[in-house]
Order: sequence, then structure tokens, then C-alpha cells
Amino acid sequence: MTSSILTGAEVLPRLPLARDSRKHLPLLDQYLADQQHLSAVERFAQRHADLVGPAREPYYRDLLPASPPVAGQQYAFEVDLDACTGCKACVTACHSLNGLDEAEAWRSVGLLHGGTVAEPVQQTVTTACHHCLDPACMNGCPVGAYEKDALTGIVKHLDDQCIGCQYCTFTCPYDVPKYSPARGIVRKCDMCSDRLREREAPACVQACPNEAIAITIVDRRQALEDAQGDAFVPGSPSPGITVPTTTYKTRRALPRNLLPANFYAVAPSHAHRPLVVMLVLTQLSVGAFCVDAAGTRFVPATAASSLGSLQAIVAMLTGLAALGASVFHLGRPLYAFRALIGLRTSWMSREILAFGCFAPLAMLYAASFWLPPAVAVPGRDVLRVAVAVVGIAGVVCSVAIYQVTRRTWWNGPATGFKFFMTALLLGLATAGMTLSAGVARSGDLDRAGQDTLASLARSVALMIVVVGSIKVAGELFVLRHLRDTRYTDLKRSALLLTGDLRRFTLLRIALVASGLGLSAAQVHGLPSLAVAVAALLVLLGGELVERTLFFAAMSSPGMPRGHGG
Amino acid sequence: MNTPRFGQALSTWARRLLLDRSGPLTRELARAPGRFGLGQVPERLKPDATTSMICGFCSTGCALDVHVRRGEAVNITPTVDYPVNAGTACPKGWEALAPLRSADRGTTPLLRNAQGRLVPVDWETAIDAFVTRMKDVQARYGPESAAFLGTGQMPSEELALLGALGKFGMGMLHGDGNTRQCMATAVVAYKEAFGFDAPPYTYADFEQSDVLVFVGANPCIAHPIMWARVANSSRRPKVLVVDPRRTETAMAATEHYPLKPKSDLVLLYGVARVLVERGWVDRGFIDAHTRGFDGFADHVAAFPLGRVAAETGLAPDAIQGLAEHIHRGGRVSFWWTMGVNQSHEGVAVAQAIIALALMTGNIGRPGTGANSITGQCNAMGSRLFSNTTNLLGGHDFANGDHRRKVAEVLSIDPERIPSTGSLAYDQIFEAILSGKIRALWVVATNSAHSWINQADAHDILDRLDLLVVQDMYTTTETAQRAHLYLPAAGWGEKDGTFINSERRVGLIKKVARAPGQALADFYIFKLIADRWGCGEMFRAWSSPEAVFELLAEVTRGQPCDMTGIAGYDMIEEKRGVQWPLREGETVATASERRLFEDGRFFHADGRARFCYAEPEHLPEPTDARYPFMLLTGRGSSSQWHTLTRTGKSPLLQRLGASEPYVEISPVDAAALGVAHDGRVVVRSRRGEMRARAFVTHTVQPGQVFVPMHFARTNQLTFAAFDRRSRQPAYKACAVKIEADTEPRGALAR
Repeated sequence: MTSSILTGAEVLPRLPLARDSRKHLPLLDQYLADQQHLSAVERFAQRHADLVGPAREPYYRDLLPASPPVAGQQYAFEVDLDACTGCKACVTACHSLNGLDEAEAWRSVGLLHGGTVAEPVQQTVTTACHHCLDPACMNGCPVGAYEKDALTGIVKHLDDQCIGCQYCTFTCPYDVPKYSPARGIVRKCDMCSDRLREREAPACVQACPNEAIAITIVDRRQALEDAQGDAFVPGSPSPGITVPTTTYKTRRALPRNLLPANFYAVAPSHAHRPLVVMLVLTQLSVGAFCVDAAGTRFVPATAASSLGSLQAIVAMLTGLAALGASVFHLGRPLYAFRALIGLRTSWMSREILAFGCFAPLAMLYAASFWLPPAVAVPGRDVLRVAVAVVGIAGVVCSVAIYQVTRRTWWNGPATGFKFFMTALLLGLATAGMTLSAGVARSGDLDRAGQDTLASLARSVALMIVVVGSIKVAGELFVLRHLRDTRYTDLKRSALLLTGDLRRFTLLRIALVASGLGLSAAQVHGLPSLAVAVAALLVLLGGELVERTLFFAAMSSPGMPRGHGG
Repeated sequence: MNTPRFGQALSTWARRLLLDRSGPLTRELARAPGRFGLGQVPERLKPDATTSMICGFCSTGCALDVHVRRGEAVNITPTVDYPVNAGTACPKGWEALAPLRSADRGTTPLLRNAQGRLVPVDWETAIDAFVTRMKDVQARYGPESAAFLGTGQMPSEELALLGALGKFGMGMLHGDGNTRQCMATAVVAYKEAFGFDAPPYTYADFEQSDVLVFVGANPCIAHPIMWARVANSSRRPKVLVVDPRRTETAMAATEHYPLKPKSDLVLLYGVARVLVERGWVDRGFIDAHTRGFDGFADHVAAFPLGRVAAETGLAPDAIQGLAEHIHRGGRVSFWWTMGVNQSHEGVAVAQAIIALALMTGNIGRPGTGANSITGQCNAMGSRLFSNTTNLLGGHDFANGDHRRKVAEVLSIDPERIPSTGSLAYDQIFEAILSGKIRALWVVATNSAHSWINQADAHDILDRLDLLVVQDMYTTTETAQRAHLYLPAAGWGEKDGTFINSERRVGLIKKVARAPGQALADFYIFKLIADRWGCGEMFRAWSSPEAVFELLAEVTRGQPCDMTGIAGYDMIEEKRGVQWPLREGETVATASERRLFEDGRFFHADGRARFCYAEPEHLPEPTDARYPFMLLTGRGSSSQWHTLTRTGKSPLLQRLGASEPYVEISPVDAAALGVAHDGRVVVRSRRGEMRARAFVTHTVQPGQVFVPMHFARTNQLTFAAFDRRSRQPAYKACAVKIEADTEPRGALAR
């Protein structure tokens, strides 16, 4: 809200004042009127009214390159760590000169510290977008809202193109794009590209009192070479992921134990509820179709159609609900149709395409149960396989979305394990419910058919117990990192799971244990529909909590932070 | 006919649906040339006028260009053609407009009703209550039973009006200001050494030094724009930092001397002894321009290296090295701030610094000086014009000639001027405790947060028969305790002058409208004067600029003579004017001038004095029960004192710590079993504070550091004072640290 100062009238209506009571304060009205009159502006304004160019240009001239980059080069920030003393003027200048929101700024200042009692060291680090050679924000964007300028190398965000999926906030290792819930989009540093075009320094460069920030030209090949080693800034993510172009220079020998001030701070990340719902329900849906596809041959032919339709309807409706939930995640859902633009590089686009195909196929498959058998049956077998295959492709895309962020807590095998095991577990639980429903009203089946159904339901219940146990054990396996010597990302996640998020972890275990207990009760005797429904719901709840932890227990990477940004 | 065009429009629309590069969200961030020498600015905030004014936070006195659009102040950039800051500012300056827009601004007077609630009243009622109740207290307990506390945050014109109204108009005897908390020590040290409270330097001395010695100062964080002048110096100076902590400035220094807390006096005497022993003194300067050197040399003889090394914890080589750096530097300047001023023996330390400059002849030349960096934006104005410790214009209440001179300039009866100075801040609090002072008028300061040993301070304020708080905000800890609250306009909503650390008089201007019925303190004082019945006495005080002219006249013949400053237009035109400027003297635009270039000081004999004292024991040393020394100081450059204003900017808040933390050495943390980022309780004999442990080597073992901005910090501090300056010693008291066993939750600020 940089726009205006509230006038008195806006803040509070004038108090009614009795006119006759003014006799003791004859000048009050005049003072109140004077107070609202901005005399100084009239008297002293207009200094430099005729000056067109920036008056500070002589001070920052040397902080800009003499000529623009040529092929194979690009602009980059260069930070002189020896000159940065943590005053944070760069942050406020970025805010004011770019007219950003209340607490918004595209630069921040972190703190490194270490050394020994005899030789303590602290080092402040100013940081903004690194205008990477291989920008993960751009690669991940499903709608093409990022551009890397061919000439300048500046990575620019197209605000009106953004749909607010926030995927770039996951893919950027440096925590650069920031989401604005009010606007429904992310925004980020563009190196003040319009200023640079006019040979004017970016806001932060102009504002640094110590001339610690400069714009330089880097060779792209050199940047790539620099990114081969792991050296960038202590405690920051490996430059190998995106090839950042910022240069941090110092004449000092920095001690090996130099760590960010926030290094040992672990705080839960955003839980992204719509994504939690979307992931778990799509996986339930895909799992239900897959279990259906794999298991349909064991179901007595007389029951196949009714059970198949029930399973299909449940799976389809869940799938549609999942897609509905995903829309709530978007800041600007009206523009969701742009989501396929990024297909070439974005797993998000691919996921949307896969589930976009999955949904109509699933509906078609479900509808087939209401078509005359002569038309439906031959197509149904093909459809059944198609739905399952496309669904699995969708889940593969989901896994890839998180895997490419290079966050260890979201690594491919672990994420794949979680997502596919959720699909399997909830798919089985749905099947268990369907079969129990079949058992409950198996009047039109013969004795053998009834026995087959009941025994199928028991087998499914057993499978649920086995799959669920493996899954929860697999999830808890991360706690072994509590014993890590180094403060690894997985140790942080484990600390969160047993610390700030302990209640969620316990709830997760309680729900899965209850779900498995209910399923275990179905392993013997006649399966009960009520118990099967309860098991499905409890297990679903458990998976939702697991997925909440999947987001919340992630320790966000980023540049070093201090006591404040 | 129109079909192709329609088709084209349709296809453009369709293409934009798929790729939109220039919609409303993009336009929101569009930048445009701003004119006025600004370069590009946000298009929607493009100014149609700008005017520069002095920042209202610290004493650096940076000029800021306020961007005005359709009569509203919409943005700020640092002024480029101002000799102080050359187009740079720290975060507080950049964000100076944000605190004006806060929702907790006072918009109407508030009066505590019978139910104990502060309720809105009109100005008539408020001024009536002020006058009747203040007069009632004075009638019952004598005129001196009412006192005021002012601030270094108000322009000189308002400070002077408050001091003159309180003492000459209302008959008060006691008034002080929050400058007691920051500059009193420097004032006393300068007065005794130079004969007048006169920081001798100009900021050009930062870049003209070969060696800069910083004692108890962290300009990288507290005065970043001053530091910039060191950092950008083409002389590549040696920077020597004396500070217990490895601060940002210590990191940037050539040498850091991490002495034991409050051992600075011993260190400086030790260095002086080395200089004397080696003959590294400027005998010519000493003989021509000073007095008392021999006594000083005898005094420091008692500080041999062995003793100094033992008491400071520094190696003998380091101490000799410091002396040698001072000796070898052609131009050596000495700088100090709160680490010295807020000390139980601060005056002695400041005078030891002055002695080092005098004995080496490092004063009155470019890049030299014994230089106190002031705290608040108008601490220097407060020192001259608050009419508290000194009579207006740096005069002496006890001096009859001074009283007659001031009375004549102000056209008042000399009898109205008391012949004694005021009690100091802490003495006023003591007088409240003993029932001698019954009514207190607190203007633009937040004693209930900032005063040392806070629990006692709260108890004392709650004993008052009448507490009037005049402030921008209704929510300060002090305003919350008031019987009567008067809503004040703030910086940016009124006119006046500030004087910065290098004695530069600069303008502040009314560029924004105050909310509701808030009034400039100037107007509030005028209303009170009229209603009190002494309005006639202030007839000539018709506007801030009229007052400035009176004040300039008051300084005639004083070391701080400002009679040559013709008025606000001249200050604007010359880009601030440093005192002294006598009538008839001229000054170049954006000039820089230092004092004592002729070697003449302000004592009657023209000589500076060597002043010295025996080191005193720490008021509250550590012991087995409270084994840690608590250091306090600024947390970040985005935070100002009690956060009354900076806490109102979401951006500044983001840049400072969001929860209390305590810096503790890894050595101590390991011994106490405190984990990185673990929760601890800091306990002193007076109070406790829950905080996050920031385990870092930048504090020495046995010491902990807590930023002063958290309200609870002063629950811990020990109410010790420098005996001569009455300045509180915030920076050293004994505490213990315990792991916090309470469940983890949000920490109270």
C-alpha cells in the first residue's frame, strides 16, 4: 500500500464540536486547518524539476558494464561480500523503486556466521534472483509465464500470463519467486530490465551505500563451468541445479564452518491443502481403476457388471473431485486453460494433460455400464486398460513434478513409493468396499459366487493390511535420519515430523493403524460393508494426513537467511 | 466492411488469452521516467513534485526526497545533491512514510474516564483537562511538582517551545528528554574538555582519515550512511574497532579489539601510557592548545601493559599495536557512540578518547577529531534548545547574564527563568517515587519501554496523579498508562529544523496530512499556552520559522552561533548549514566545516582540558548465580529503539527479527546444554525474558547479547548511571541463562 496517506476524514469522522465551547481555544480551527495544508510542498518543491536523467548516475556508472552482452554472454549480479555490511538498503530500495506490495521486496539479506572463539566470523549476504542459465522456474512453468531474454539473459516473469499454480516456488532452489495470495500470481526480480535498457542501475545497485552490488557480464560457458563445483555461497543449494549467474566475491578466507544464521532453524512449510486433496484423490481414483482392471477377472461374471459399475462410479467421482480440488490451488483458475502451453518442459503441464485425458476416459468407461451390452462390452475392456494406463501415466507425472525440484524429501523413489502405494492402498480399500457391498446384496448370486466374493473381499482386506503396513513403515523410515551427524534436509524433515509436526505424525499413525485394524477384522468371517466403508474413509483420512506431511515436513531450501529478511 | 477488423480483433483477443504479456498485472509494475533527477519510478507513483527533507530517525541527518503526487506523499528516495548522504539511505529512511499510515495513529484526544478507560474527547475538553489538572497538582504540591519529558525526535522549534512553555510559562522546574538515554555523556565530556558541547567534526572527516578508531560503535548497523563514507574512502584507511562483540563493523575493520565489557577506560589509559612512554605525542600541540597534560600523563602511568592486558583480556601486543596505529596514522579520527555513552563511567571514557586525540594533535585537521556520533535525529537540537539541563542556546540557568540575555531576546521577565537546571530523567523518576513530582507530561518518547529496569519504571509511572502522553500513536506502552493522551502529528506532517551529528541544521517539512484531529506538537503547545493564560508570552512564537529566528538570536555570541542562518530558505538553498555561522558570515552550498581548525577551544583561555578519572567497578558484576554479562544494542538497521514507528512498516518488520533472540557463544551453549535455535530464559535479578538462542562466536564466552528493541529487554537491565551525565548504563548487567522448559510457542515481543 505505497499509494497514499490516509487523510483524517478517512480515518475518523470529525468529532462534533460544540461551536460555543471554542471560546477558550480561539485558534483551534485555524490550527486544524493549517495542519491539513501542505505549505512546505508549495514553498520548497520543484527542485530539479528540469533534470531529466537520474541525478545519481555518476555514483553508479562504474557499477554497470560498459556495453551490453554479446552472444554467449549475459547480465549478472556481482556482490562484493567484503563491502556488504547488512544495512539492507537494497531491500527497501527494491521495494520502493519498484512500487511493490507492503512487505514485498525481490531482494533479501541473509547472514552467515562461524569461525572460532579467537577468530569469529560473520558475513551478510545480499541476494536476489540469480537469473540462472537453466532456470528451473521457467522449465517448470506450465503456462510459459517465464522468459529468459536471449540477449540479456534476464529471467523475466510475465505477470499476466501466470495462473498462480506456484509450481515455480517449488522448483526454484533459491526461494526467489514469491506468491501473492491477493493477486493470485507470483512476482520476482527482473533485474530492473527497463532501467538497464536506459543504462540506469537496478534499484538495489543504485541504493547500496557501499557499492557492494554491481551488474556484470558473464560468459555463459564460464557460468556453466563455475557450476560444476559445489561452491556458491555456504549453505545454499548446489549451483548445479540451475546454474545461477550471480558472482559472490571476497578477498577473505572464509572458515569451513560458516553457516547460515537460519541453518539450524526448522519450520514447517506451507501445507498446500488443495494439492493434498488433489494428489490423494487422483491416486485413489487411479488405484481404484487399476485394481478394477487387475481384479475384474476374479469376480463372478454375474456380479461383474454391478460391482464394476460401482467401482467405476466411485473411482470416477473421486477423480473428478480431485480435479476440482486442484483448481482451488490456482491463484487465477479462469486461466487454467493455458496449462498445456508448457508441455515441452513442464511436468505440471504433462500431469494436467494426463489427468485431462484420464477424466473423460473414466467417464466414458463408467458410462459404458449403462449402454446396451452389445455396444459396451467390447469397448469396455479396451477402455478399462486405457483408463488404468493413462491414470498411471498421470501419477508418474505427479511424482516427476516433485522429483525435479531436487528436494531430498521429495526425491523420486520416496515420492514414487508414497504416491503409488497410496494408489494401491486406497484402490484396494475401494475394491474392498465394492466387494463387501457385493457380498451384502449377493441375493442373485449362487452359493459359489457368494463364497468367491467373500473370499475375494477377505483377500483384498489382507492385501490392505500388508500394503498399508509396508507404506507406513516406509514413511517412518525417514526417522533414521534423526541420527545423522550432519544437519541434512532429511534430518530436518525428521525433526519436523517428531517436533513441530508431531501431532500430525501421530494422527497419521493412528489413522493408518485404525484403517488397518478395521481391514484386519475383515480378513476372517463375512466381510461387512459398514466396516469396509469405515476402513476406506479412515485410510483416506490417513493418506490425506500423510500428504499434508509430504508438504509441511519439507525443509525449504534457499539462500542464507538472517534474523529477518 | 468491418469483418476483417473484427476477425483481427478476435484473433488478437484469442492470442492474448493464450499469451498475455501486457495486461493489468504487468502494467501495475510499469516504470516510467520520474523527472526531478529521479530516474525511473513506478508509473503509478510518478510524482508531480518532490521536496527534500531530513530523515526523522537517527542523527546522521540524511536528506530524503519526498515524492508528492496529487497532494499526497507517495514515495521516498534519498536526496542525491545533499552533502550528507549523496543519494543513499538506510531502510528506515526509505520506509519513512509507512509509519505515518498506521491504524493506531491517534486521531482525537483520549481522556481516562471514571471506569479507567481512555475515551475520545474533543480538543476543548482535553486542553481543559490538561490545564485544570496540571494547575491543580501545582496548586497543591508546588509548581515544581509537575515535570516534562521531551525527546530528540522533535524539531528544535518544538523542543524550545515545550521547554519555554513548561519552565517560563507554566512554572515547572524539571524537564528532561530521551536524549538523556543517548547523548548526556558526550555532552558532559565535551563541555568539560572543550568548554562547550561541541562535536568538532564534519562527515568529510570519515573519508579524509588514514586511521579511524571506533569505540563502542557499530556504524554498519546503527549509522550505515556514515559507514558508507568510510567504506567508499579513496584513502583506504585503517579501521580499528574496540567492541566486545565481533559486530558487522568489527568484521569490516582492519583490526578488532574484543575487550572485556566495560574495560574500555583501562584500555584507553593503557594506550595513552604507551603513547607517552614512546614519546608518540604532539608536544607542540599540547603546549599550545591544551591544559592538564602532565596530570593526565601521571594518571595513565598507573596503567602498565600487564595490568591493562589482564583487565581488558587483550594481548599486550594488541594494545601496543593499537597505540602504534594511532602514532603512525597521519590523520587519526576517534569515533564513539552508545557503547561509551551508555556506561557507568561513560564520561571518563569519552574524555579518555578526547585525550588521545588531543595528545596526538589529532583535532582541528581533516580526518581527525574526538567525535561523538549522536543518536537521534535532533539530539543535537535537544542539547541546545530543550531548555532542560541547559538554558536555551547552550546557556547556563545559574548564570544571571545568561538569563537576562535570553529573557531579552524572548521579551520576557528574567524572573520567569529559573536559576537552577532540571533534575535528570532518573532523578525525576526518583522524585515521583518520593512524591515530590506528581504530574508528568511525556512528549514523543516511550519511557515505559525504553527506561532502564522496566518493572520499576512501570511502577513509578503508575504512581503519578497525572500522566499526560503526547504521541503519534495511542498504543505505546506509555500512552496506554496515560490519564490524558494528546494525538500528535509526526515527522513529515510538520515544519521545523533538525541538527545532525556534524552540527548541520536541516529542514523537515509538512508533506503529509496528519490523521483525524492530530496536531503538530507546536500547535498543541500553543493551545495549552493560550488556555494556561501565558499565550501572550509566546505571541512572537507564531510559527516554527519565527521560532527558528528567535533561537538563532538566542545563540548570538555562543559557540553555536547561528545568527548567520537567515531562515528556512537559506537552509534549503545551502543544503543544510553547520553551526557556527555568525551574522555576516557566508557559507558555500553543500559545504563541510569542522571546529577548532585554529586550535582555539571554548574555555575562556582557549585551551582544551585533559580530563580523567579512576576506573570504577562494574555496577553489577557477574557472579556464580548470574554468570553472564548481558550486552544490549541495536538489532538491525531496520529497527529504531522501541519500534514505535519502525514496527508499523511491514517491510521494516520483515527485515528485523520477528521474535526475541539472545546471542550466546557455542562454548557456553554447549556447557548449558542449549541447542542451536533452542529456547532459553534469560534471567536477571529484576526480570526474565524468553528468547531463541542464536549460538554464535560473535559473542565471547561469558557474554550474551540481546537487541534493545524487544520490550522485555529492559526488564533485565540494571538501573546504574554515569554519576556525572546521569545517563543509564544499558549495556552491562549480570544474567543467567536457562533452557526453556515451557512448551514451545510464539514468544512475546
